[in-house]
Amino acid sequence: MHPLSRRRLLGLGAAAGAAAAAGGLSACTGRTALSTDPDELVLWLWNRSASPQLLAEAAENIPGTTKRLRADYIGTTFDTKLRTSLAAQSYIPDLTYINSNNALYFPSEDQFLDLAELGADAHEQDFYPWKWSLCRTPTGVLRFYPLDIGPTGFFYRRDIFADAGLPSEPEEVSAATRTWDEWLELGAKLRRDADVALVQTTTVLFDIFLDSSAERFFDAQDRPLFDRPGSAVRQAWDLAVRALEMGVVANAASTTDQNAGWVSGRTAGHLEGAWWTQVVKETAPDTAGEWRIATQPGPPGNSGGSFVAIPRTCKDPEAAFALIEWMQSPENQVRTYNDVQLFPSTPASFETGQMDPQSDFFGGQDPLEFFSTAAQTVPTTFISTHESKTGAFDTELALVANGAKEPEAGWEAAVAEVNRVLEKRGVI
Amino acid sequence: MASTSSAATLPARAGTEDVPRRRGVLARYWPQYVAIAPFYVLFLVFGLFPVAYSFYLSLTEWDGASEITFVGLAQYQYLLGDARFWNAVGNTLIIWVGSTVPMLFFALLIAFLLHQNIRFKGAYRIAFFLPNVTSMVAMAIVFGSVFSDSFGLANGLLRGLGLPEVGWLTEGWSIKLTLILMVIWRWTGYNAIIYLAGLQAIPTELYDAAKVDGASTWRQFVSITVPMLRPVILFTVITSTIGGLSLFTEPQVLLANAGGNENSGGPGEAGMTIVLYQYNQAFTQFDFGYASAIAWALFVLASVFAIINWRLVRDREGLVDRRRRRGGEAR
Repeated sequence: MHPLSRRRLLGLGAAAGAAAAAGGLSACTGRTALSTDPDELVLWLWNRSASPQLLAEAAENIPGTTKRLRADYIGTTFDTKLRTSLAAQSYIPDLTYINSNNALYFPSEDQFLDLAELGADAHEQDFYPWKWSLCRTPTGVLRFYPLDIGPTGFFYRRDIFADAGLPSEPEEVSAATRTWDEWLELGAKLRRDADVALVQTTTVLFDIFLDSSAERFFDAQDRPLFDRPGSAVRQAWDLAVRALEMGVVANAASTTDQNAGWVSGRTAGHLEGAWWTQVVKETAPDTAGEWRIATQPGPPGNSGGSFVAIPRTCKDPEAAFALIEWMQSPENQVRTYNDVQLFPSTPASFETGQMDPQSDFFGGQDPLEFFSTAAQTVPTTFISTHESKTGAFDTELALVANGAKEPEAGWEAAVAEVNRVLEKRGVI
Repeated sequence: MASTSSAATLPARAGTEDVPRRRGVLARYWPQYVAIAPFYVLFLVFGLFPVAYSFYLSLTEWDGASEITFVGLAQYQYLLGDARFWNAVGNTLIIWVGSTVPMLFFALLIAFLLHQNIRFKGAYRIAFFLPNVTSMVAMAIVFGSVFSDSFGLANGLLRGLGLPEVGWLTEGWSIKLTLILMVIWRWTGYNAIIYLAGLQAIPTELYDAAKVDGASTWRQFVSITVPMLRPVILFTVITSTIGGLSLFTEPQVLLANAGGNENSGGPGEAGMTIVLYQYNQAFTQFDFGYASAIAWALFVLASVFAIINWRLVRDREGLVDRRRRRGGEAR
């Protein structure tokens, strides 16, 4: 009798476990939304991508709606997690932030709602036109909405330039480096007279040239442009190689070396988007007051800047779009800037006079004024979803920078490798 | 719970042998099957299903979001001609051999020394094991600082000694060397602890007898410790083979920002390993079909080494048997 009762006990436990497992499994199937609460919208984002104050207000009530917001901070590998949810069609957020690589989502663009149908077109005039253009997919549908932008400039150390007898005030530096040739010449002089580099890597120049170019790797029909004679990519490559040969590049590959270079003054500059003001402040606090920003040769570019999108499974698209309109209004972009230093994508934000320029680090020069002016002349461009397959250019450029390969051999290897990958993925 | 219950039912079964067997087994033992079910259910969901599904994926082209297209063996065909894959295979083998041999040697040496009658044994054991439980992110920062080109400690030391600097994280062979050092640093203590456990199982009489016969410490190490530890050494060789062939974390964190692209093992992909390449294809390039094909190629490669290992072990056992037999005859 004893074993039987024990067996019965086990059996009861097992039955209970199986029932719980079955219940859990059935809860999994067919559940596309992250939150079962009909009044709660879930937003996926990452650290420092939104003002915590605005999120707290929306958590009480999204203005103009009856809904509440739940903001989920997603850590690393954001795209992998979002794509997993979309592929499985389960646990999808009602809204999601997407980084500057929004082109990654072009092939599966029907996963996101057409924001024009929700009335987004009414706001087109509020934003920098080149940013608005990046929100459209190749089919011309508006599936993304602007968050911040990253207009670029040439950061440099005024004191090091002055000591080397170079032009040192922003207007002088900008005037002396209107073309890349002049800029390289200035860098060569700095290397000769002070043994200081202007930028850390060849990649910086390759990237910044393309970020300020209307033409990039592919045209709007995803046809490769890079292997044509005189292409923008080839010009960017040549600029990087010349900078290397003229000693303008420090060749500091690791972040440790790069940070040490800026802290010690062995590298006296950087070409990057507006958000780098925050990075350099944290990296080299002791150099405060000595940094300035000049216009880079050619037009300014854009580096970084993110988007927000509404997955098609969103439980209340109108309320979701109301949240976007509210959070991305010029006034609230000012609040976001003051909280987490995201650079506004609405020109009107800079006219409010509510933004703290934090110009001490730049010796009184107003970085907001500089970058909002730069943002007006950023060229409109098209970023293809296939740009993620062009990594061979960076790989080969790093080998050329190491002296492991001749520049021309590196270029040919890069083009061949990218073409091989494109062929494999069925692009060409 | 399950084991006590089966122990209790077993004697009862002996007495009721006339009950029809087939029905009896299920009726009697279903609670035990239910009790072990959680493991098998988890294994099916998180083990077997992904394995089978990855084989299916390796026959398709899929970017993780769009439609899945069946392409037959095209991924494997591309793999055979993919220089980047073979570069990763070469790197993996170099790093594996370069790290395993010195690592196991040092581990054995450390274990032998720790086994001696010394003070603060516990402290040493913890010290040697610490690298294994250190957060990889912290390790990456420390190694990045030590081995960075112009401002790193390693190059600072070389400069101080008047030696030429090394591009630890930027040049082909140096990247591999840095990775080898990182693997050795992280795993030597772990293997030393395993060896130590093996050492403690060796009867002390053997050492006492050797001492009486006047054997030196080195002689004791070579003639007693190593032969007696043979099964433990083989175990560590096999685990190191598995770990070495699937090396991923070290190059991923160490070379994350050492120039070149994300997850590509640094300049020239000199630190690209097979699993890192698989990760790169799956989660940077979103080419899941090809990443699955790489995974299966790794499976084939690992099987080859498993067979070699197995043959070596078997032959060695045969050799020892022969030697023993010969020794017996001589006597």
